[in-house]
Amino acid sequence: MQTLRVVCYLNQFFGQLGGEDKAGVGPQVMPGAVGAARAVQQALGEAGTVVATVLCGDNYVAEHPDTAVAELLQLVAAQHPDLVVAGPAFLAGRYGVACGALCAGVQTQLTVPAVTGMHAENPGVELYRRQVYIVPTGAEATRMLDEVRRLVSLGLKLARREPLGSPTDEGYFPRGLTHNTLVDDNAAQRATAMLLAKLAGQQIVSEVPLPDFPQIPAPPPIKELRHTTIALVTDGGFVPQGNPDRIEALAATRYGAYNIQGQQQLDPGQYDNVHRGYDTTYVKQDPHRLLPVDVAREFEQQGTIGKLHETVYSTTGVATTLAHSARMGREIAAQLRAAGVDAVILTST
Amino acid sequence: MRLELHWSQVETFTAGTTTRLVGKALNVNLDELRALLEADVRLQLVRLDLTAPGDSCRIGRVVDVLAPRAKVDGGEDFPGVLGQLRRAGSGRTRALTGVAVVVTDQQLENPGSLALIDMSGPAAALTAFAHTHNMVISAWPAPGVGRSEYLGAIRLAGLKAAVYLAQAAGDVEADAVEVFDLPAPMRVPVTLQHLPRVAYVFQIHSHQRPTGIDEGILYGDPVRRMLPTVVHPNEILDGAIVRGFMGRHATTYAIQNHPVVRALYAQHGHTLWFAGVVLTVAQATEPERVRSACLAAGLVAYVLGADGALFTKIGGGAPHVDMAQAAAQCEALGVKTTLIVEDMSTDGSQEGMLLFNFPGLDALVNVGSGQERVMLPAMESVIGADDMTPTLQSALQTSYGSICGAIEQVGASRLMALVQ
Repeated sequence: MQTLRVVCYLNQFFGQLGGEDKAGVGPQVMPGAVGAARAVQQALGEAGTVVATVLCGDNYVAEHPDTAVAELLQLVAAQHPDLVVAGPAFLAGRYGVACGALCAGVQTQLTVPAVTGMHAENPGVELYRRQVYIVPTGAEATRMLDEVRRLVSLGLKLARREPLGSPTDEGYFPRGLTHNTLVDDNAAQRATAMLLAKLAGQQIVSEVPLPDFPQIPAPPPIKELRHTTIALVTDGGFVPQGNPDRIEALAATRYGAYNIQGQQQLDPGQYDNVHRGYDTTYVKQDPHRLLPVDVAREFEQQGTIGKLHETVYSTTGVATTLAHSARMGREIAAQLRAAGVDAVILTST
Repeated sequence: MRLELHWSQVETFTAGTTTRLVGKALNVNLDELRALLEADVRLQLVRLDLTAPGDSCRIGRVVDVLAPRAKVDGGEDFPGVLGQLRRAGSGRTRALTGVAVVVTDQQLENPGSLALIDMSGPAAALTAFAHTHNMVISAWPAPGVGRSEYLGAIRLAGLKAAVYLAQAAGDVEADAVEVFDLPAPMRVPVTLQHLPRVAYVFQIHSHQRPTGIDEGILYGDPVRRMLPTVVHPNEILDGAIVRGFMGRHATTYAIQNHPVVRALYAQHGHTLWFAGVVLTVAQATEPERVRSACLAAGLVAYVLGADGALFTKIGGGAPHVDMAQAAAQCEALGVKTTLIVEDMSTDGSQEGMLLFNFPGLDALVNVGSGQERVMLPAMESVIGADDMTPTLQSALQTSYGSICGAIEQVGASRLMALVQ
């Protein structure tokens, strides 16, 4: 097997430049394995050679967050590595963040695999575990060689593009990404075994981690509807004919804002529905089944409500990613607030 | 109720002048079968192709796959859709292993989902249908035949072919006889009364897309507004249920060999008591959904008297939530549940895998992500999608969801989305 070119990244302390007094030193490169990188070379054995060690002071990275990583990437790139091993950073916070940032940059900008290691409470874990493979370590460098071996063994798999098992099996912090894998038993057999275990009161491991959505407190109730401006918002796929905003039929990334000024009712001939997650026959026949503009106008004229907001917002809520849902919600809410809207009727399907 | 499947193993499948099974060699008179299928006035032309495991062949535009089965002793095949209405699930049924009927969609102006089967290469490991000798039906509509009529016609052609092939076994002795014998739910021998009682809640259709009047699913019924219904599991194995026209990630083949029914039968009397099956459909409106969830949970808890229930769904997001609502109602009645779900994330993130968050629904098995991309190599030949031959012959990037049989929502497949 080909010997891999490995570049290590260390801070001033593990690179043996000095202690906190040297934390301000800028990026530099040394040939071969220096300081703690010697443990990496030992763990690699015949599989790879540490061709260079890139070093930088913790304070330098923390104080120049934008430029330091770019400078380090240049030094790394010049070595043409097959793998970058950063740290391990243990519980050292500034060092952990630097390792995470560098590994993320190495992966995306140099398209070279990278691995780092740190303690679960290192802030670098929460910041970078989604982007980077981070091996859990102790808080201090008391079992350095052992932990570096785990880091290197994961790094070699990444460099050789070998398939990875679960975070528990391989020993890295879960990245929260899903990847299709073939397993031995079919889903029905696994489900039967899981149900029997659950019935027996045994510990079960769900194949889908249970969601941990934040609780969103309900806003205080409206006391005086008579002075309230109410907006209509839907994720039911309501669009004007021709779908001018090109809202996706599923997995939406866009929403539309449509003016209804002067409309007592929505004319079915002017509107369409692009939602691909439910039978839209009835809302196409009569869009008020989705957006009750007709009743809202009556209430407005009777003085039951203060005003109907003259813009309605719409998207398609089907297979929409949580990230896009949250962003669109924030943007719509900001516009409604800026327009002085007091309350929203949100219709879903 | 007692059902016997009389299995014959097929190892070679060739075209010839007569249709018969000799040893493990199945010979089929394609002209005779084609004439039988072309008798349907909705179809103008039928073409039949054979392909075997290991061939450098890609089957395109797959709509459904069926297992060859034929009733003996005067039973009816696929009652209510092909045969006369009669209860399925008892008596003897001929069955072939190593053979499948693959139905493709040739109404090209309105192509449905483009599902593929690779008979060799990396995708072959993902699907059962790369390991069967396949008879591929390509049928073109007669002028003026609409979409629903056409889908009804090709599905019927598939069912006819499945029966025709199984009948080729004639009265030769079966290689193996598999017996499915389950008493009525309450008749438990005293010595087995300590076993946990387990029910299966089988969602058979989603009304996100309403069924056509000729889209028979349960004994020929289009299951419009169907309320939860108790059936014997043997009925499922014996042709009472065929997949709707557009079932996503589900084949009739998987239903005929239903993996949950088989898994529960395998444990029945040993680690559990198989208490029965409740059929449901995913409903289109909220009151229907809540009504269905209440009724299903009531049947599971109070009629079947189950301690545990296993759930599967068909279709996409709404059926996923619909299934979860019924399961949550079961948990509220003290019935422990396990659900088979698809990874619903559209961006590969763990947060998007599920569309529900009910306390108690903590035992979830997943059948993988249909959205994840996969690279397939070039193949020498393409069948079932003549118009796309150049595209399908070359290496192509597609999604796991496009590989027919890679994701079977009823639980027959072995793909799993691993959180990394």
